[in-house]
Amino acid sequence: MISRSLSGNRRLVLAAGCLLTASVVAGVSLSLAARRTSAGPPTISISATHCGQGWTHPHAGTQTVWLENRSDAGAEAEVIDPRTGAIYGEIDNLGPGTTRPLRVTLGDGTFAVRCLVEDMDAVVGPWVTITGSHTRGGPAVLPVTVDDLLTPLRENREYVQSGLDQLAGQTDVLLATVRAGDLDRARAGWLAAHLTYERLGVAHGAFGDFGARIDGRPDGLSEGVRDPGFTGFYRLEYGLWHGQPSDQLRHVAERLDQEVHTLDHAWAGMELDPGDLGLRAHEIMEDALQDELSDDADEGSGTDLAAALASLQGTREVLATLRPLLLTRYAELSELDTWLDRVEGLLQAERRSDGAWTPVASLTDRQREQLDGAIGRLLELLAPVAIICDPRRTA
Amino acid sequence: VRNRAQARTADRRRIDRRAFLLGATLVAGAGGSLVGAATVPPALSNQSRASSAPISFHGTHQAGVLRRQPRRTVMCAFDVLAAGRAELVEVLRTITDRARRLTAGGIDPPAGISAPPSDPGILGPDAPPGGLTVTVGVGDSLFDERYGLGDRRPARLTRMPIFPNDRLDSGQCHGDLSVQLSADDEDIVINALRDVARQTRGAMQLRWRIDGFVSPPRPAGTPRNLMGFKDGISNPDVRDPEEMRRLVWVAGGGEPAWTAGGTYLVVRLIRMLTEFWDRISIAEQEQIFGRRRDSGAPLDGMREEDQPNFPQDPTGAVIPLTSHIRLANPRTQQTATSRILRRAYNYDRGLDQVGNLDMGLLFTCYQ
Repeated sequence: MISRSLSGNRRLVLAAGCLLTASVVAGVSLSLAARRTSAGPPTISISATHCGQGWTHPHAGTQTVWLENRSDAGAEAEVIDPRTGAIYGEIDNLGPGTTRPLRVTLGDGTFAVRCLVEDMDAVVGPWVTITGSHTRGGPAVLPVTVDDLLTPLRENREYVQSGLDQLAGQTDVLLATVRAGDLDRARAGWLAAHLTYERLGVAHGAFGDFGARIDGRPDGLSEGVRDPGFTGFYRLEYGLWHGQPSDQLRHVAERLDQEVHTLDHAWAGMELDPGDLGLRAHEIMEDALQDELSDDADEGSGTDLAAALASLQGTREVLATLRPLLLTRYAELSELDTWLDRVEGLLQAERRSDGAWTPVASLTDRQREQLDGAIGRLLELLAPVAIICDPRRTA
Repeated sequence: VRNRAQARTADRRRIDRRAFLLGATLVAGAGGSLVGAATVPPALSNQSRASSAPISFHGTHQAGVLRRQPRRTVMCAFDVLAAGRAELVEVLRTITDRARRLTAGGIDPPAGISAPPSDPGILGPDAPPGGLTVTVGVGDSLFDERYGLGDRRPARLTRMPIFPNDRLDSGQCHGDLSVQLSADDEDIVINALRDVARQTRGAMQLRWRIDGFVSPPRPAGTPRNLMGFKDGISNPDVRDPEEMRRLVWVAGGGEPAWTAGGTYLVVRLIRMLTEFWDRISIAEQEQIFGRRRDSGAPLDGMREEDQPNFPQDPTGAVIPLTSHIRLANPRTQQTATSRILRRAYNYDRGLDQVGNLDMGLLFTCYQ
């Protein structure tokens, strides 16, 4: 699992330092018929005191505006519709004294620059207006703030807690069956528990080192599957599907059960970053495609497709919490739903009537292409969720 | 003077060697490349490499067919995943839109905070067209029951048969659509490949892909293949519209109307056992080809442009009857209409199981 919480953390830090402020400057409204400037691209000031200065000749169409940070701190800058707050384009990490281009498409409407200088309140520059161009600008999307993400965050935390509670019960059963030497039931119990863990993809990054101990793969270990550092679900899978006797697996199952219980108790005190929600919404399936559909993660059980379906269910859980925010922000939400259903249907079709799953290696070329292609398309549709739900500061 | 029996033995040995060295074919794709394209006369073979002006995707014929071969190509096959005819139409429109955009250059309007950037960025902020051509074909399997296109099947389109000595990997054979992306620079073709694959994701899926290149002329004339021989010397004249009409372009002949202005594309991957090749004598190499390695001249000539005179050599004393040039193009009246427009590229893709180089010829031709 890729961990990408850096920018999210940074935004949190920035957000913590600012007061609740609406637009500080509501400037003059310039009405300019759409026309092209002849004097090269304008340079627009980004600072707390001169925000938006220099933007006098906006025109319709796709264009590059140059944003110059004239403050002495790092800044973010956005071209917005000041009436709705929707963002046409943004630049992050604009260093003091630097000028960078931003491409935006403008049409008839009112625009302004919002300056977000580090440790300062947000400032909105003068409004500028384009009329009579008969051009549509955009896409412009309302920002998602940390506040907007508090409810989804709580819902995800609760979902993960109840999932971990369930998982702890399942690894108890798993341990009992291994201790009893009932390896048939242990294999069934392993799958149930592993799928529960896979459904918690939203928190896999937040689990930190627990993740490596509970769900670590042998790839980075010098001795591979024989490495003493190889623990958790995949280690147990390897043993259960490679004829290892129960007394050889008992300590593996014990350790897994123990780790899960520790995590279950620790979760209440662990952090889930608001920025994680959007990122995980697409990363869970990125991992599923790369690890499960490639057959790389299989240690003998042939249940990769079950794990991919669990990942999809985990993705659906995150999306459900973000849905109220996406409804007004994501134009392709219904297309996304269509492809979630398609992928789910394709995966469900690989569950046989006896409950066993088609191993990835047994898929026909055509089935493989269908699955890979559908998941690929789903990923293209999930990627914007991460961008839209990246928490942004507006005040 | 060899007697006939000796000659026959030698011939058989040569043909076995030829087959062995050249014939280990791993990929066979067949696509009838049958989409309309350019009224603008296709720019022709002597064009200089500097030209990177946009090459229009639209016209009577597809622009990539007759043009001088650019230095780089990606030949790939996609399988269409579209659920039903409406989605097939949509994916074909997307390919057209993207081909138009990519061949014209430039990047899409900015996505703002609504999505990741639409381009991979490898061509920089201006994304020059780079002389890109996009050549799209339809394979036999597209006309199966899935989309109800059976009655539109081009008359001569067939699934690539398996030939003696082929060693095929089914995952690298056939395909619903062929897409060939060619330009002088690698980043241009990679950019196009990523774009087309991304914009059609879910509606079609890459089935196989081979990268090819054309070497610079050494020292002049037709470029060489990886056996060191000039490849494609005796091609039909692409500047002769009459010859192209006769040999390349589809017109009438019981073909469905939509194929007019199209052509048939054959793709075969010819693995060269270059280590083995390097261990055989120059005389045998030249007999296998029927040409001199250094000059490209037929064995009965002096220069690469010289025409071999087969009638004057009926027993193959100079140019063996089993030589490549005699078998591929016997230059008889009966075979004049079966000539093909060769557009071969070299390929080079790592190693095989015994540590030999996996390289050879990405053979493509129009016919």
